[in-house]
Formats: sequence, C-alpha cells, structure tokens
Amino acid sequence: MSDADTLLIDRIRDGEADAWTDLIARYEGRLLAFVESRLGRRAPSEDIVQEAFLGFLNSLPNFDGKRPLEGYLFSICAYKLTDHLRREGRRPAVPLSSSNDSSGEWHIAGSERPASSIARSGERKDMEERAVAAALRDQIERWAEKGEWQKLMCAELLFVRGWANKEVAEELKLSEQQVANYKFDFIARLRTMVKKQELSAEVFPELADEEPA
Amino acid sequence: MTTPRRLTDAELEAYLEETLAAEEMAAIEAEIRQRPELLRRLSMILGRRDAGLHSVGEIWRRHRLSCPDRQQLGSYLLGVLDNDQANYIRFHLDKIGCRYCQANFADLRLQQEETQELIITRRTKYFQSTAGHLRQTP
Repeated sequence: MSDADTLLIDRIRDGEADAWTDLIARYEGRLLAFVESRLGRRAPSEDIVQEAFLGFLNSLPNFDGKRPLEGYLFSICAYKLTDHLRREGRRPAVPLSSSNDSSGEWHIAGSERPASSIARSGERKDMEERAVAAALRDQIERWAEKGEWQKLMCAELLFVRGWANKEVAEELKLSEQQVANYKFDFIARLRTMVKKQELSAEVFPELADEEPA
Repeated sequence: MTTPRRLTDAELEAYLEETLAAEEMAAIEAEIRQRPELLRRLSMILGRRDAGLHSVGEIWRRHRLSCPDRQQLGSYLLGVLDNDQANYIRFHLDKIGCRYCQANFADLRLQQEETQELIITRRTKYFQSTAGHLRQTP
C-alpha cells in the first residue's frame, strides 16, 4: 500500500470524516466504472458501490495494510457485484465438485465450499503465492526496463489468457518456435526460483517439465 | 476483443474472479446457458484451487503484476507515452481485457466529461449513507 493510502487508512481508523470523504473521492469513480461496465445501469451500480464502501468500513478492523487499497476495494466490489448478478439470475452457481450435477440450473450460490481444505493449506499457499508473485514481478520489471514488451505480451497471453503457442504466435506475429522458446525460458526461470526457495513444485502444475517445440 | 477459440482454463479462472472484460463475462454466461458442461470445468477449477494448486495466471491477475498505474493510464489517455509503452497499455486493456485497468481508464476519461455537480452529488450520497459506520478502530 502506498504511503498516502496508509496515512488515509490510519485517519479513517481514527474516525476522521474528512479522510473518509477523501477515500470516497479517490476511489468511487473507478469502482463505479467497474460495476457499471457489467450492469449497464447507473442506479444499481451506484447502490453496489455504496454497499462496497460500507463493506470496507465494516471490514476495516481486519484489513491487512500490506495489501494494496485499490485491489482490496475492487475485490469487495466484485464480491457485491457477483452477489447481485446471482440474485438477478445472470451469474450461474458453480457446483462444488465435478461429480456434482451440473445441469445448468441457475440459482443463488451457496458458500458451502469445503472450508477445511482451504484453511489447511492457506498459510503455506499464501507464502508460495507471494514467492511466485515476487519472481514474476522481477521478471516483468526487467522486460519493461529493457523495452522487451513483446516477451511480456507473449507471457501474458500464454499465462493470463491461457492461449496456445500457435494463437500467441499469430497474434504477436512471431514464429511458433519463438513463442515456445520464450515460454521455455520463462518457465525455467520460475522453476529455478521454486527450487531455490524449496517450494513444492507439485503445487504449480504449469511448471512441469517442458521442452521447447 | 475477439476470443478466437475454445475458452481456456485461464479465462474461466478470470471469469470466476470477475476480472474479465464485461462483454467477455456476458459472453461466457451466454455460453454456459448453451453448454452447461462449462459449469463442470468451472467446478474443476474451484476444486483445484481448494486443493491448494496455483496457476501462474491467477497469481499474475491477483497481484496485478503487469497493470499500468493510474498515472501511466492518464498519460496514455493524454497520448504522451512513447509508442512502445502505449502499445503495451493498449494490448493490456484491449487484448488481455484487464477489467480493473479498463475501469480506471474509463474513470479517467469520464472525469473529463462529467460535470463537477454530478460527481459531488454522487460522492455526497456515498458519504451520507456510510459515514454512520465510521468509528474508531484499534
């Protein structure tokens, strides 16, 4: 979280109304744009942003100051929006396991996912995630500093969108061999980091051994 | 943006996170209505998460590792970035369809168009409806 946001949160925690006004002014526009792009209607979008601000104040005692404020507000907003879309019947409830019936029934989703499995691995999972995020951030910064935007785009299409090498090659006007080589180098670096930090490679299925095409 | 083929698991993960561009979110919901078996794939993704498995895309999106900051988006809007950086931001907004960055960009653009009166009315409404919950927290 930036120093400005940390200060703002401290003032809000002290109950300062001016600080709360500042936070609303700083973030409401982007939150409203986020919701309205999906709902297409201003009034219910404003209601959801309002609920998100309320949710933020209620969750403030538990807010982890290390987390970026904007991301936290977006995640509350996404949660409120998702709930709204489910109630409207626009967003499907996802069955809890692949063996469940998935007949396409659209109803309000429950929150009965197995909490025990999440809680059991939560702390370790967070640590693994932070380590990989740090390695990815370093790599992305290096690409940006060197102006290697094509490598960044290639990795983003491969991993954030999950596109196949061939599609990425077509999109970026590269050869499939170039894409395969970029991918191989990228995965090799991540795999090295995972080993160096003594993390379990098993929990990163994409980092399984792969040879360039 | 055009989604050229079968939905990938990474795209379905982003759907579950509500982070895909709004039109893609709607398209996926329409596709689920046509092909309920997509629910099974979504369910498997949730199962993998619950089992503690990571995906690179999920970590990348959650930490917003390649998102331009608000200042960079503002410079992009003003057209003052160099070509390479501007091309990348366009790619991130349009091809990756990062919804958070799209929201920031739309907000910056709207700030140039909306009247101050409208903005102040909205902010006052948010404040008045929530300030009662403002209290000192430890």
